[in-house]
Amino acid sequence: MSDLPTDSTIHAATDALTAVRQPVGTARGLPNAHYTCPTLFEDEATALLKTTWAGLAVASDVPAPGDAKPITFLGMPLLLLRDKSGVVRVFNNVCRHRGMILVAEPRRIEGAIRCPYHSWCYATDGRLVTTPHVGGPGINTAPDIDRATLGLIEVRSHIWRDIVFINISGTAPDFEQVHAPLIARWSALDQPQHHGGPDSHFTLDVASNWKLAVENYCESYHLPWVHPGLNSYSRLEDHYNIVAPQQFSGQATHVYRQLTDAAGHRFADYANLPAFWDQGAEYIALYPNVLLGAQRDHSFAILLEPLSHNQTREHVHLYYATADTDADLRAANSAQWKQVFEEDIFVVEGMQRGRAALGFDGGRFSAAMDAPTHCFHDWVATRMQAARAP
Amino acid sequence: MRSLDQRLCAAHAKNDISTLVALYCEAATAAETTTQKGFYLTHAYVYALEAAHPDALRLHAQLCSLGKEL
Repeated sequence: MSDLPTDSTIHAATDALTAVRQPVGTARGLPNAHYTCPTLFEDEATALLKTTWAGLAVASDVPAPGDAKPITFLGMPLLLLRDKSGVVRVFNNVCRHRGMILVAEPRRIEGAIRCPYHSWCYATDGRLVTTPHVGGPGINTAPDIDRATLGLIEVRSHIWRDIVFINISGTAPDFEQVHAPLIARWSALDQPQHHGGPDSHFTLDVASNWKLAVENYCESYHLPWVHPGLNSYSRLEDHYNIVAPQQFSGQATHVYRQLTDAAGHRFADYANLPAFWDQGAEYIALYPNVLLGAQRDHSFAILLEPLSHNQTREHVHLYYATADTDADLRAANSAQWKQVFEEDIFVVEGMQRGRAALGFDGGRFSAAMDAPTHCFHDWVATRMQAARAP
Repeated sequence: MRSLDQRLCAAHAKNDISTLVALYCEAATAAETTTQKGFYLTHAYVYALEAAHPDALRLHAQLCSLGKEL
């Protein structure tokens, strides 16, 4: 088979994205290449993850002043760091001298971060504080080495609901401007989120493109078949779609059932919630890669870490309204949610394998049931078209 | 009694920061030239900085007085 001319390839790709950006009932899904092509994975990393506010970690990953956690995100070596005054920032985990990785393992920085190569030292707020022998043996200064300009390179970050969002490009509008609609929607939930601790965090590795995890999470259409345990108390008709074009999408229920122990104890509620939250719960995918769940007595965040075009790591964190919660009840809640999210793995991985089918046209959407998923596809297609525009 | 070199190597092997600070200060005291003194004081200072050792400020001041630090 001869190679297609470049123009035809471009036109085909553009036509495919235009087909996505149609009304939900007639739209096609994103083409296979968006799930199978390593090159397109990199293009999407730029258009969807580096130029937006992507979820990287949670501030609870560095709970104490001096805590440092190295994180590789989209191949970039980053450092999540809580300084001595308690401020959490994200830096490039790289010495400004010769580019050496500074912190190899999560640890507490007692004083300064010392580069293991030539011992340049940085304060926990990123300032370069000493450059040993840079001017010769025993001379720690040099005319062309201006420490004030050689601090750690900070990555723009914003913390919301304990989630550390980053804007790699530095060009996105402020987080509070971009996500004003969801911040307003959940204003009643704007309360301290107490991470449940080590037993309230787990990871799941999924052999699929990260977008498939978003697409599955934000719809309720699959619940009766993939999560049959919900059928007894949260039927399909108890759920409704949430669609915020170019922002977020998800689904909600009118019949959230609180977890209780044998004695009838339950988690404390968040304070002063409107009546909706008595039995309501919302599950929203905040584009690009953060999946959120909110209930009257606990919340969770799933951060999708794209490892490759066909591999994703899901970082799940559970939060409570109070710092003090029953350990057994917490463990039961974590186990319950872990079971639910594990039930999704086979469909997400199955869709990934399905994308190798030649001739699969991206699929179709149920206007009644798939609007949240199509909303995400439309966001992807919009950003990809904008990125390709001359 | 082990030589200073031997004691330094032992402290490095154990990553014993407090001992490293003390030993590099000892080396600085015994140094014959200002360059050598600056070299050893720098090592003591860097390890003290890293560990938030109480001598970090004093060592910084010493290096500044020698014209070796900012």
